[in-house]
Amino acid sequence: MKKEYLHTLQGTRDERLRRMSFVLRSLWNIQMDMSFGSWIHVSHSDGHLFQVEYAQEAVKKGSTAVGIRGTDIVVLGVEKKSVAKLQDERTVRKICALDDHVCMAFAGLTADARVVINRARVECQSHKLTVEDPVTVEYITRFIATLKQKYTQSNGRRPFGISALIVGFDDDGIPRLYQTDPSGTYHAWKANAIGRSAKTVREFLEKNYTEDAIANDNEAVKLAIRALLEVVQSGGKNIELAIIRRNQPLKMFSAKEIELQVTEIEKEKEEAEKKKSKKIA
Amino acid sequence: MAATFFGEVVKAPCRAGTEEEEEDEEERRETSEDREARRQLARKREVRLFRRQTKTSLEVALLEKYPCSKFIIAIGNNAVAFLSSFVMNSGVWEEVGCAKLWNEWCRTTDTTHLSPAEAFCVFYHLKSNPSRTQCPEQLGRQVRQMRCQAGEVFLCQCTCYVAEDQQYQWLEKVFGSCPRKNMQVTILTCRHVTDYKTSESTSSLHSPFLKALKTQNFKEPPCCSLLEQPNIAHDLPAAVLSYCQVWGIPAVLYLCYTDVMKLDLVTVEAFKPILSSRSWKGLVKNIPQSTEILKRLMTTNEIQSNIYT
Repeated sequence: MKKEYLHTLQGTRDERLRRMSFVLRSLWNIQMDMSFGSWIHVSHSDGHLFQVEYAQEAVKKGSTAVGIRGTDIVVLGVEKKSVAKLQDERTVRKICALDDHVCMAFAGLTADARVVINRARVECQSHKLTVEDPVTVEYITRFIATLKQKYTQSNGRRPFGISALIVGFDDDGIPRLYQTDPSGTYHAWKANAIGRSAKTVREFLEKNYTEDAIANDNEAVKLAIRALLEVVQSGGKNIELAIIRRNQPLKMFSAKEIELQVTEIEKEKEEAEKKKSKKIA
Repeated sequence: MAATFFGEVVKAPCRAGTEEEEEDEEERRETSEDREARRQLARKREVRLFRRQTKTSLEVALLEKYPCSKFIIAIGNNAVAFLSSFVMNSGVWEEVGCAKLWNEWCRTTDTTHLSPAEAFCVFYHLKSNPSRTQCPEQLGRQVRQMRCQAGEVFLCQCTCYVAEDQQYQWLEKVFGSCPRKNMQVTILTCRHVTDYKTSESTSSLHSPFLKALKTQNFKEPPCCSLLEQPNIAHDLPAAVLSYCQVWGIPAVLYLCYTDVMKLDLVTVEAFKPILSSRSWKGLVKNIPQSTEILKRLMTTNEIQSNIYT
C-alpha cells in the first residue's frame, strides 16, 4: 500500500487523482471486509456459529413434517398450517415436488423454502438437459445442502432458516430419504421428523419403526400418520400426506383418504386397548 | 498514582477521595433541567390503574377493594391463554380494572392512549357461576360451591412487560400497602428452555416442562417438582413472589420452560397439571370445552402469521 501511495504523488493531476481514488477505494473495501465480513459468520471463541443456531431455532417454529422410507414406498406427512378464511389453501403447501420422482417437505421460514425449492427445481431440469438423466435423490440433496452451506460462509448473507426432508426413488429402484438442515449437512434416514415437536415424533419413530411396521405400503402410510397424530391436535383434518411408489409419480392423499386411515388407526388402537384390559383382567 | 511491575505509572483508585473527585462531583450535580426531565420521565413511567368501562382511575388498591381468597396471576401469552381457556370459560367474570404503564418495551410512543389490545394487564373477579352440569344431583352442591367462590377469586392477565422500576408500583397498586395474609397467590409464567441451567444435556430435556417455586407459608404440595438451584425467577413473577414472601402470603410460582415462546398449544397444555391442585377444584368445569376454546385461540393466532410453515 505504501508504494501505491508514493506513486500517487507522481504524474499528472488526473493520473494522481485516479490513483488516489483507487487507493481510497481499496482502503475502504478492506475496512468494510474487516468490520462486516467478520460479523456474520465468524465462529465464536467456543466454536459456535450463532447464525446457524438461530436458523435452527427458526426451523423449530415451523409445523412438524415426518418422512418414512418403506420397502417399496416413501411417505411424507406434514402438519397442515391453519389457513385464513379468505386465503387460497393451494398456496400454503409444505410438500413440493422437485421432479417427477423426487419431492420435498420443509419446516421453517416460508420465503427461504420458496427460494431453495425454486433453485432445486431448476437444477433438476438443468441436470436432465445436460446429462440426459434425471437427478438422483442424493444428488439433489447434496445440491441443496451445498447451497445452504454457502450461505453460512458468505459475507452479507444469513443461513436459510429451513430443514428439508427429501424423498424419492432412484433409477435402481431403491427408496431414499434424506434430511438437510440450515448448516448444510445432510444425512440419509430410515425415518425422521423436522419442525416443532420433532423430538417427540422422532422418539415415537424410534420405538415403532420396525420391519413389520413397513412391511407393506399401507403400514408405512399408517406409521407416518400415527407419528403425526402424536403431536397434531386436531386429528386427521390437519394432516397432509404424499407418497411415491416405485416407478410411479408423486401422489397426494385427499382429505377423505387421510380420514379413512385415521379411522382405521383409531379402531386398531381401541382393539389393542381392549386386548390389554382383557389380559389384565 | 501507582507503579506496576513493568514500570507503568497508573492511576490507583483512592477511597479517601481527591480534589479531582470533588470537581467531578460538581459537574455531576443536577441542574433544574435535569430534575424536570427526571420528573417527567417518572410521571411517564408511572403505573396507573383504571376502569376501562368508565375510564376512571382507581385510587384504592385492587385487593383492598376486592378482597379474595385466591389470586391467580398469568404473565405471558401462554399463561394468559391457559387461564382464558381453562378457567375463564366457566362462570361470569367481571373486569374490574386495567393497569396502564409505559416503558421502553412498549411499542407505542403515545403514553396517554395506551390500548390494552395487544400488550395488556387486566384484572377480573369471579362474579357468579350459574353453569349447569349434566348431573342434576350434583347441580345443587356445585352451585353452592361456586356461590361461596364467587367474589373470592381474583385473576390477573398480564402480557405487557413491567420494568424493574415499575414492579414495586404495580405491587403496591394491586396488593396495597398492607396486604391480607389469608389469601393464596398462584403465578403462572413461561421462560425459554435455554434459561434453564442444568448439568444434563439440553437435548435430553423434554420441553415444555413445569417447575414450581413457593413461599415459606405455602403449605400445599405443588403440582410439579421444585425449581432447582441455580435457576431463578425473573421480572414480575419474581417481584410478586418476593413480595408475598416478605408479607408472609402463601404463594406459588409455576414456571413453564418451553422452546416456543410465542403462543403455542403444547406449551399452554403443559400447565394442565395445575388443574389437579386442591385450590383449583371448582374453578375448572369443562375441560373438553376448554380444549376447544384453546384450539380456536391457537388457530386465530396462527393464521395471522405466514412467516413460518
